[in-house]
Amino acid sequence: MIETDVLVVGAGPAGSIAAKHAARGGAKVILIDKKSEIGAPKRCAEGVSDNGLENLGITPDPRYIAKKIDGVRLVSPNKTNVWLTSEEIDLPEAGYCLERKVFDKFMAMDAAREGAEIRIKTLAKGLRKDGDYVIVTCESMGEEFDIKTKIVIAADGPESRVARWAGLKTATKPGNMESGIQYEMCGVEFEREGVIEFYFGSVAPGGYAWIFPKGDDIANVGLAVIAQDTNKTAYEHLQEFVANCPATQNAQAVELNVGGDPVGGMPRKIYGDNIVVCGDAAGQVNPLTGGGIISGMNGGKVAGDVAAKAIIDNDWSEKYLEEYQIKIHEEIGAEIDKYLKVKEYALSLSDEELDSVAEAFQNIDFEKISTTEIVKNLVKVSPKALLKLGKLI
Amino acid sequence: MIVKDWCSFCGECAGVCPRNLIEVKEYSLIFSDTDCKECDFCINACPLNALERD
Repeated sequence: MIETDVLVVGAGPAGSIAAKHAARGGAKVILIDKKSEIGAPKRCAEGVSDNGLENLGITPDPRYIAKKIDGVRLVSPNKTNVWLTSEEIDLPEAGYCLERKVFDKFMAMDAAREGAEIRIKTLAKGLRKDGDYVIVTCESMGEEFDIKTKIVIAADGPESRVARWAGLKTATKPGNMESGIQYEMCGVEFEREGVIEFYFGSVAPGGYAWIFPKGDDIANVGLAVIAQDTNKTAYEHLQEFVANCPATQNAQAVELNVGGDPVGGMPRKIYGDNIVVCGDAAGQVNPLTGGGIISGMNGGKVAGDVAAKAIIDNDWSEKYLEEYQIKIHEEIGAEIDKYLKVKEYALSLSDEELDSVAEAFQNIDFEKISTTEIVKNLVKVSPKALLKLGKLI
Repeated sequence: MIVKDWCSFCGECAGVCPRNLIEVKEYSLIFSDTDCKECDFCINACPLNALERD
């Protein structure tokens, strides 16, 4: 039987950084992923902030940066534009559109270079307790085998099963699962270069539509909806959006991406005896934007550090691993809770109310580009928002 | 469960299954139909309308 200190299930950004930090801390680490190619297919609009990567100790590499982002365009249902770019703001916060197929591999390679053993095309099929250890049954290329480990880091994405096998209540309620779908398209016509675009209202019930540039005429064009808020599929909404959006009239799809995005916040408990949960599997996603690369990687980093320390201290009990939950709540918990409330408010707005907010934003001087800045100004222009969100901001 | 051939194996169905009955492989879905309570969360969540009850 294969034995290890830490088994990380899922080699997305959260799992890979968890493996990297656990290995760096001295633990023997195995990182498994069910896919034959880490990073593919992508299930993501691929946007990250510069300081998000910096805070994780990652220097952006041009090989996985598809496009530098210079600003944001918000589009209300009646097509009122709110531009937040270097033309309007002195120092817009830089961000990037990644090439996830390259980025995810780089993150896994970083883990390997720290000493983690990577096993691709390896699926976790079950988990059972064995004294102080757990045994994870895996399958690879038709062969079934067991891995005995002291700690499992469950980073197996929105479809996570591992945490639930361990008895944690991490299932996502249908009302908290965004159905995301996007095309990568060429021939997209941008009004301004390097600007990420968000389209709000009934174009995407329960979510929004986006255009994230990846090249001169290349972009991820997608949307996310809450399935129970609409009687159309996410795919039908995307077809309508692409047919009606001026930027995509001459665009053609070269790739279709699909995936769920858990936007209900972190479950109450994401640790237990022998296990911690991170990334999308732990709801480490900004509930308002659906962005989860940086927050998930924060979760993975903390999970890896705590796991390595647990191995050194020879204690991987639930009581010891609670430190992970405490730390990650300190780092990102308050932000997630805040944006849950903002999302609830945003989804209560009608198309007409969204239009009036966009109109009011025309007279506001934004100091920087960030979700918090947008919400802060929302409270300024909307008495209803002030009432609902004033205390939060 | 009938899985249509346009399924992309994104796993959203598995994420919302309250009984953790759906195994998502790289290119296949395996449903434990015997324990299914037919809540249809998986069918309704599918972005591509790729699931249909037998």
